[in-house]
Amino acid sequence: MDRAFQRTKILTNHLLQSSPSSPAQIPSLSSNACLDYSPPELSEGYAFDIKEMRQLLDGHHVADRDWLFGMMMQSKLFNPRVRGGKVFVSPDYNQSMEQQREMTWKRIVYLLERGVFKGWLTEKGEEAEMRKFAYFEALGLFDHSIAIKLGVHFFLWGGAIQFFGTKHHHDKWLRDTENYLIKGCFAMTELGHGSNVRGIETVTTYDSNTGEFVINTPCESAQKYWIGGAANHATHTIVFSQLNINGTNQGVHAFIAQIRDAVGNVCPNIRIADCGHKIGLNGVDNGRIWFDNVRVPRENLLNSVADVSADGKYLSSIKDPDQRFAAFLAPLTAGRVNIAVSAVYQSKVGLAIAIRYALTRRAFSVKPNEPEVLLLDYPSHQRRLVPLLAKTYAMSFAANYLKMLYVKRTPQSNKTIHVVSSSFKAVFTWNNMQILQECREACGGQGLKTENRVGHLKGEHDVQSTFEGDNNILMQQVSKALFAEYVAAQKKNKAFKGLGLEHMNKPCPVIPSQLTSATLRCSQFQMDALCLRERDLLKCFVLDVSQHQAKGESKEHAFIMSYQLAEDLSRAFSDRAIFQKFVEAEATLAAGSLKDVLGMLRSLYALICIEDVAFLRYGYLSVDNAAAVRREITKVCSELRPHALALVSSFGIPDAFLSPVAFNWIDANSWSSVQH
Amino acid sequence: MISRLLELFLAYEEDPNVKLVILKGKGRAFCAGGDVAALVRDIRGDDWRAGAKFFLKEFTLNYLMAAYSKPQVSILNGIVMGGGAGASVHGRFRVATENSVFAMPETALGLFPDVGASYFLSRLPGFFGEYVGLTGSRLDGAEMLACGLATHFVPSAKLAMLEAALCIVDSSDPVIISSIIDQYCEQPSLKEQSVYKRLDVIDRCFSQKTVEEIISALERELVHKMDVWISTTIQTLKKASPTSLKISLRSIREGRLQGVGQCLVREYRMVCHVMRGEVSKDFFEGCRAILLDKDKNPKWEPSKLELVTDSRVDRYFSKMNTEEWEDLKLPTRSKHKLPLYAIAKL
Repeated sequence: MDRAFQRTKILTNHLLQSSPSSPAQIPSLSSNACLDYSPPELSEGYAFDIKEMRQLLDGHHVADRDWLFGMMMQSKLFNPRVRGGKVFVSPDYNQSMEQQREMTWKRIVYLLERGVFKGWLTEKGEEAEMRKFAYFEALGLFDHSIAIKLGVHFFLWGGAIQFFGTKHHHDKWLRDTENYLIKGCFAMTELGHGSNVRGIETVTTYDSNTGEFVINTPCESAQKYWIGGAANHATHTIVFSQLNINGTNQGVHAFIAQIRDAVGNVCPNIRIADCGHKIGLNGVDNGRIWFDNVRVPRENLLNSVADVSADGKYLSSIKDPDQRFAAFLAPLTAGRVNIAVSAVYQSKVGLAIAIRYALTRRAFSVKPNEPEVLLLDYPSHQRRLVPLLAKTYAMSFAANYLKMLYVKRTPQSNKTIHVVSSSFKAVFTWNNMQILQECREACGGQGLKTENRVGHLKGEHDVQSTFEGDNNILMQQVSKALFAEYVAAQKKNKAFKGLGLEHMNKPCPVIPSQLTSATLRCSQFQMDALCLRERDLLKCFVLDVSQHQAKGESKEHAFIMSYQLAEDLSRAFSDRAIFQKFVEAEATLAAGSLKDVLGMLRSLYALICIEDVAFLRYGYLSVDNAAAVRREITKVCSELRPHALALVSSFGIPDAFLSPVAFNWIDANSWSSVQH
Repeated sequence: MISRLLELFLAYEEDPNVKLVILKGKGRAFCAGGDVAALVRDIRGDDWRAGAKFFLKEFTLNYLMAAYSKPQVSILNGIVMGGGAGASVHGRFRVATENSVFAMPETALGLFPDVGASYFLSRLPGFFGEYVGLTGSRLDGAEMLACGLATHFVPSAKLAMLEAALCIVDSSDPVIISSIIDQYCEQPSLKEQSVYKRLDVIDRCFSQKTVEEIISALERELVHKMDVWISTTIQTLKKASPTSLKISLRSIREGRLQGVGQCLVREYRMVCHVMRGEVSKDFFEGCRAILLDKDKNPKWEPSKLELVTDSRVDRYFSKMNTEEWEDLKLPTRSKHKLPLYAIAKL
């Protein structure tokens, strides 16, 4: 009865449009004042020095990066466009595949002429190598295709000459490579073999009468595939092939072969086809190559590890073929380091865009007639983005460690570099895809516009999880390496040393039954929890494998069957190793607001690792503990909310390399901008 | 004058009857810049803070103009240099004439292009900003329009009519104001020898990483054929204060990646160090040689580019570690409804 009366009253009001008199009057609808864009800089402050934070995150060569940013921003070749009163540079992905490839090449020529690549292959030393990494990171912020084209030419082709070749190769090829007198590519992967390099089917034999190697593609599955640069531009390639000497297969070796002449015609006995349009990276001309008994001079064998004499005898100082192969591939880690680091920078772009947007976009009011709430003021939105910020900071510090590890490499540190680079490449690239997806969703429909970048980055970087080592294979390598460490320590009754496993020598950490806020924020507790998981999973994995072996299975088969423990273990190792680098970075700071904020991020990173299902599955935490962890995460997120702008500004990404949605997205979409 | 302009601009912002602000000069200049000679006299002894106070006010005015809620139209009918550029380029409209002469001549004086020049020079096409800031080169009205320092070009004969038309506008809408100025506008052509026709060389050379490499790149251009403009440019650079050149280059490069407020905060640090003279006394020597004694033969110290180390340059960009010194605090603009072009600069 009451309800009918209410309804009648409402309808009467509509019909009579009477002015408000009674207190039961339903407030009439009024239009809101138009939405205004207010830049986050006007309302959010910086509690710490963002320049200092940037130095910490980038780690090195900040001025060089900025110089390269300026170089790209000031040239029309990099497609500057004005949106909402600001200039943005980003390739035009609406161009055809051919046009995009052409533009990528033009940009490379421009940078070459400006001296950006000077010394990339001819200058030695740690500083030069770190600077190269810095330039790659900056280039990657503009476009993945240009970074890949350069990576293939300098790191893969150039790196192969440097590390697989000897003096006569260096003298003949390095300078011309640096000056782009030749264009190199890297033919390792085949249609039938990617991760298992040792199984490739290209075959090379030696003709002692002519002193030539003869390289051949014996079947369709042996065609080289995904060879960046091969479809359009490359003149020379490194070819990976089985080497048959006098009827004996000596394993995989690398040769130099010319595939195009100076004017761009494909050489005789070489067939090249295009890999076709891709879900991203269409600025890279990936090609397929068939070798039809191609003859190359004997000197074209890259002979740092093995050689063939003029009369056709195979010679190598490393007798064991497994060891020889490992030594052979060790230098390729530079590419892996590069990819791991690049993934972190893409996450930075995604987060800078999503968080800046969330600081200016509003949706829904809590009370009527109040302004709508900023996206980032919702705890649920904070929960989606702020932990990813913590992850990105953690990966950033770990990436800097990885670069230093690589640049200071010694024969003794090779194993560590292999394990750490495998772990970090897998984890960073997987994290990056997850982060980009979340950032795209956080931008809603605007995330679907190519020019807003955040969504487009997903397709562009998806390849990172499977090239330069499939992530799953890499993580298996990590678990196998940890297994070997454990077995060696047990067998020789020695302490664990290296790979951060020293915590295994101490007594097993204990998790308190009650987890207070103070405990959860304590770095010692956080480290204990991560070490406990790693330690326990390593033991379980070793035990599981031995049980399989006890049933008569081979070690290889046991590894295959114990894959779930292996995956959980390698994840545990990675989280702990990354966390360690975060703690070390934090320790370098003097007390102050920067250190406080970094400490909160560090705790958040640790807590989201500890929130992982493994902790409940394997019983390291009780259900109550897990609930406390969850609550603490929400708390830290809200404490970090006021620092969100400062934290993304500290990435040091120039505005021009973000996108319109991160700034005045209202003006960027105005009618007047359509007309111009 | 700075104090008075600041007062007026603040008042006009609050006055609803004021729709736009027109700024013009008297005589043969719009504004030739700050009275640097007077500044040097004031600073004699330890009183660099008096000089710093001037710049604090000036940079505050520059910021206010950049982030002003109403359009400013500057009529640049004559010399517009240094501080004069700071008082005009940040505004929404800059009207050049056939009498305009623009320059940022600070490197010859032992100073550096300040007044937010690291913001507006770095946004000129290619590396033209580096060229203008390092050489102190003069630009005419046509060149100012071509590179974007000016938004319009109106022959001086039509200025009176333009002003009259603007005075009766009852709107702050920049689109309306622009269309009024358009009615008196002309498209001047660049002179035959215009430096703006040398952008390819400028971009090749002034994009180099360091001042030394810029000069080497210019010298390399001369290897194949003689070019008066290139050799003059090299001479100008070699006569400027080496310290000034290096800090100016870094200022413009950093400014390219910063908003106008951050640029001014950074420039304020730099200018305080210049005033204090503890890293180099080139500013005082420059003013003496060019403005006071006028012998045009300054003795720079350090005298060569190689002697100006990175750590010396770094010092200009750091905070002053003296008592009571603070970073420039810019007025908050959040209470005003800023136009879109102003928001984009922050």
